[in-house]
Amino acid sequence: MKRGTSLLDVLTACHVARRVAAAAVVGLAAMTALGGEAPAPHWAFQPVRRPDVPAASAGIPPIDAFVRARLDAARIAPSPEAPRSVLIRRMYLVMLGVPPTPEEVAAFVGDAAPDAYERLVERVLEDRRLGERWARHWLDVVRFAESNGFETNRERLTAWRYRDYVIAAFNQDKPFDEFVREQVAGDVLNAPVATGFLVGGPVDIVKSPDPALTAQQRADELDDMVATTGTAFLGLTLGCARCHAHKFDPITQSEYHGMAALLSGVQHGERDLPPTPDRAAHLAATDARIRGLEATLARYVAKETEAPAASPANARPPVDFARNEETFAPVAARYVRFTILASSGGEPCLDELEAWAGERNVALASNGSRATASGTLAGHAIHQLAHVNDGKTGNEHSWISNEPGRGWIQVEFPRTETIQRIVWGRDRGGAFKDRLATRYKIEVATETNRWQRVAGSAERAPFPGASHVPTTPTYELAGVPEAEAGEARRAIEDLGLARKERARIAAADKAYTGTFTQPGETRRFHRGDPLQPRESVAPATLSLFQPLALDPKAPEQERRMALARWLASATNPLTARVIVNRVWQHHFGTGLVDTPNDLGRNGARPTHPELLDWLASELVAEGWSLKKLHRRILLSATWRQSSAPQPAAQRIDAASRLLWRFPPRRLEAEAIRDGVLAISGNLDPTPGGPGFYLHDVDRENVYHYHPKERFGPAESRRMVYAFKVRMEQDAIFGSFDCPDGSLVTPRRSMSTTPLQALNLFNSRFILDQAGLFAARIEREAGPGPSDRVRRAWALAYQRPPTEPELRDGEAFASAHGTAALCRAILNSSEILFIP
Amino acid sequence: MNPNLPRLPGNLLDRRRFLGDIGTGLSSIALAHILGRQGLLGANVSGKEPFRPDIDPGRPYAPRTPPLAAKARNVLVIFCSGACSHLDTFDYKPELVRRHGQPMPGQEKLVTFQGEQGALARSPWEFKPRGQSGKMVSDLVPHLAALADDLCFIHSMQGKTNTHGPGENFMSTGQTLDGFPSLGAWVAYALGSEDQSLPAYVAIPDPRGKPQNSVNNWAPGFLPAAFQGTDFNARNPIRNLAPPGSVAGDRDAATRAFLQRLNEGHAARFPGDGDLAARIASYQLAARMQLAVPGVADLSSEPAHILRLYGADEGGSHILDTRAAYARNCILARRLVEKGVRFVQLFNGAYQTGGEGVSNWDGHKDLLNQYSVHGPVLDKPTAGLLIDLKQRGLLDETLVVWCTEFGRMPTFQKGSKGRDHNPAGFTCWLAGAGVRKGFSHGATDDFGYKAVQDVVSVHDFHATILHLLGLDHERLTYYHNGLERRLTDVHGEVVRPVLA
Repeated sequence: MKRGTSLLDVLTACHVARRVAAAAVVGLAAMTALGGEAPAPHWAFQPVRRPDVPAASAGIPPIDAFVRARLDAARIAPSPEAPRSVLIRRMYLVMLGVPPTPEEVAAFVGDAAPDAYERLVERVLEDRRLGERWARHWLDVVRFAESNGFETNRERLTAWRYRDYVIAAFNQDKPFDEFVREQVAGDVLNAPVATGFLVGGPVDIVKSPDPALTAQQRADELDDMVATTGTAFLGLTLGCARCHAHKFDPITQSEYHGMAALLSGVQHGERDLPPTPDRAAHLAATDARIRGLEATLARYVAKETEAPAASPANARPPVDFARNEETFAPVAARYVRFTILASSGGEPCLDELEAWAGERNVALASNGSRATASGTLAGHAIHQLAHVNDGKTGNEHSWISNEPGRGWIQVEFPRTETIQRIVWGRDRGGAFKDRLATRYKIEVATETNRWQRVAGSAERAPFPGASHVPTTPTYELAGVPEAEAGEARRAIEDLGLARKERARIAAADKAYTGTFTQPGETRRFHRGDPLQPRESVAPATLSLFQPLALDPKAPEQERRMALARWLASATNPLTARVIVNRVWQHHFGTGLVDTPNDLGRNGARPTHPELLDWLASELVAEGWSLKKLHRRILLSATWRQSSAPQPAAQRIDAASRLLWRFPPRRLEAEAIRDGVLAISGNLDPTPGGPGFYLHDVDRENVYHYHPKERFGPAESRRMVYAFKVRMEQDAIFGSFDCPDGSLVTPRRSMSTTPLQALNLFNSRFILDQAGLFAARIEREAGPGPSDRVRRAWALAYQRPPTEPELRDGEAFASAHGTAALCRAILNSSEILFIP
Repeated sequence: MNPNLPRLPGNLLDRRRFLGDIGTGLSSIALAHILGRQGLLGANVSGKEPFRPDIDPGRPYAPRTPPLAAKARNVLVIFCSGACSHLDTFDYKPELVRRHGQPMPGQEKLVTFQGEQGALARSPWEFKPRGQSGKMVSDLVPHLAALADDLCFIHSMQGKTNTHGPGENFMSTGQTLDGFPSLGAWVAYALGSEDQSLPAYVAIPDPRGKPQNSVNNWAPGFLPAAFQGTDFNARNPIRNLAPPGSVAGDRDAATRAFLQRLNEGHAARFPGDGDLAARIASYQLAARMQLAVPGVADLSSEPAHILRLYGADEGGSHILDTRAAYARNCILARRLVEKGVRFVQLFNGAYQTGGEGVSNWDGHKDLLNQYSVHGPVLDKPTAGLLIDLKQRGLLDETLVVWCTEFGRMPTFQKGSKGRDHNPAGFTCWLAGAGVRKGFSHGATDDFGYKAVQDVVSVHDFHATILHLLGLDHERLTYYHNGLERRLTDVHGEVVRPVLA
């Protein structure tokens, strides 16, 4: 604060606040005019009281009654109902985010039943694309993205589960209060994925020994959670109280820190999800199968463990990473087998297995010997079975078993040889100190199944490091009759598969939903600076409404549960108003309050305060059902109005805020892309699961995302399923004001730029889709040129062409082809607009 | 009284519509009248009326007059990504030479970004007096050193983060966090551009790749997307500038004409809808860009002596090839400035290839060898750019800003031969329109560790740049998510001593 004590200075210089200052000035002007009464308490902090529906409009839907009252006062007439072809296009775009098919339009336009519109509403409310459409709006509000942001910007590969949770919540019409509670404390409420909300924001994972940086990073993480909780659920700019008392709303800095203490046990990261009932059953069945197979095979369990010698004094030296030699009395052998029973960790590795007959290594493949193995670790050119007897040593020419802690290699010589020495190693280059066979035995045979042990780790001193001994038994079939051995081998194979299956099922699903630890004391940071901690602050909700203070040592989960209950309480004055306003905004383009994340004193006043409160009280009374709210809005005459301009009304209310018409508006990036794919007949409706990529990813320390140039079927799903990267945009549709999830976006910009035009007009994606659209028309339309134009118009615009459009389209298509016609249509304003 | 006060909403409302809003009965016309007369409409808490550019949705890049007298018409930012060491370039510290090999007094236990510090380390490059001003500049950048009399150094820059991502965010957007509009976006939003066939704001990534924080450096944040930086360089053109070769030129033109008829027919059904008119205009602007951009990016008409001036004519080694590629970006930057593009942001250094110190200024481990590449790559082309701007008279109306995300330590890191991050003190310089020549402002301490004299924050730096463009940083605001946001947040003072 630099200046004296004028009114403007009292409001002080946080984030320059024109609105607030102006509001205060207006308040002052008003007060002065009225003779200096104290300003009324702020409307949004008062309990929601159900207002009476204006009596003059009895018999019409309450929404219309409230809207008409304002229109009457402004002497503006409402618009007539829009034609059915417009209504169905509008309904699909608003509610589902894709246009209807020509057949759906024809069915609705031709439906003579008096309840045709009501049935359309019901059908749309049950369409699962509703969740995909409305989840996108919520994901903006909670700054959801699937990469960390900041310079490393690494992927969060399991964050998509939260996106699917939101889609499902809207489709199932999950009561909104439950939806709120779950996002704060879903781990307690049987909705573990929902807490993806808390950690949806960016996080700087570049850590440093510098304590100041570390403290700042943590304070920023927590602020992201606190501020987003404030704006998303309460429509309050809580983050403004981080460094000082909120300049406009009654929130002190201590209250901010009290809220922070409620969330201070939340850390970024993945969490294991509890098994679903299906998976638990599958796990139990697989366990039973494993136990059965183990019982069958119990008699073949190898007795030998090759535990190292008990008295190291007269033992041979322990195994060595580089090279080991085993000598024994000369023995006749056609086969030699090296069986590994434990490793120094991981799948064991042998770089070469040599068997010496006099001065000849008879194991060499070049000698005609053939190696077989229990299995080989897949995917590595330098680790191959053939490398174990190729005469080349070192890690670059080695074999690695495909099982941790065990495996065997068998070499068959072309003829029986008399051998007296075996030499083996893990890496004779000496670089690698891992994957060493720490327990093993070496056997020879002149015919298979007649094995004779010649050496092993039992004669050696213990390996000085840790040994990984497999927890499952090793089976020994030497000496078992062939028929029985065959059975046993099949059982061993089945057991291996069953164990793999079990591991697959048991590997917990993970989700980027945060981890929770008991937090320490929370202190208020002077001026928001984490290096200036002041007094201790107990976890507490805002004093704004039914404040709730917890013990400073309250358990972590209890804190979030308390916050969840408080946020979603039916008597919280903000939560219901905020969500009703958001829903209204996505129907009409602008909310009843046009600052959807700020219903505080710094925010705008509602255009229709009674309507907002009436809808909010209805929402709570009807079990927080958003679908019921949608239904109310969709059935109103206000929603069904024509969007055609009316000069007289426009002169008074150019922005249509009083809703004398349905305000037409441009679609968002996602709906434009989805719509193009739908029109070309190429939209893949597959729901859910990990996102598809719009970028090729360079996964260096810092991740780089390069926009894909070519798109295939994998990229033809709805854009809500695109892997959402921070900082980088989709190369074509990103320019349509698509936010990247770095900040919350309560309301998108709707700008018009030449890059949008270039992207739509010239991108390969649009040209490809134009080609597919043209092929579709040629397939589906009658043979005449006018049939094609009509079909194109029906698919793209859900209306027949006008006579001049038909003539122009025909002439253009015959001169330049259907694909050029389709390219122009996919660029046209009409497909981008909600009519 | 329920004043529903106007704000800049999602779409670019023009003044007409904005005033229309007021008169909707949402607040009384009389009140709006009173407020307007009292000059209180839109007053902000600093007591200053916000500057709200009057943006025609159909011509978002139309030139707009700044509210205050401007010294500079356009801006060229040269951003050295990776944190360029002030101690090896422009900030001469004799004490550092004298105490080479000794611990930094009072900072023996200092832990910085990568850990503990070793001894003070003098620069491997000699500093020498340059020009009339006698300014001490190192031999790492001899060509720039020769221009010292034209430069205005700020040696007392101070940041507030020692990580690259937040640091680049801070220098480019005034916030350490992601998601805020870049300086260039603010300027394009406020002032539009002088040329209607080119984007108002062009970002030119280094030939080696994008900077550490990538597109955040030229992002629109919450400003309308029209004001984002369009990134291209001499090697990689604007994406989707032209259709793939398969589309014949005449068909392309006919399709464009047919599209315009479609859009005009549609707009006719919504008379007065600014968004629809803007869409038609955007296709016309796109068509002009499609013609103009290849022209401006085509350097084939540049004569040999110009190529030589920038060092774009030599190759054959890694350094020379990289230098030539960066030099071509410098020439492109000059051509854009020449055309009247409002804001050009030229990057030197990239994270893309090799990472730490290899392709950018992040010299933690091997300062001598890494800077022996980066110095020459930066030096001659950048100096050539300044000389060329000057000889064409462009420096009179162009503000050149040389910056980096933060400085580096006067010590070498423990056990290494390089310098760790240091936001406490670093150097940036200005040149051209409206700033003093051969002038140095502020100072770091004896070792170059902390800014101690006339400390200049990044907010001050931004406020100064806006001031030179005729914009008051306290008045250039945009409403987002409950706040009237500024480039300078709640900070910033114009650094008056550097003004000419």
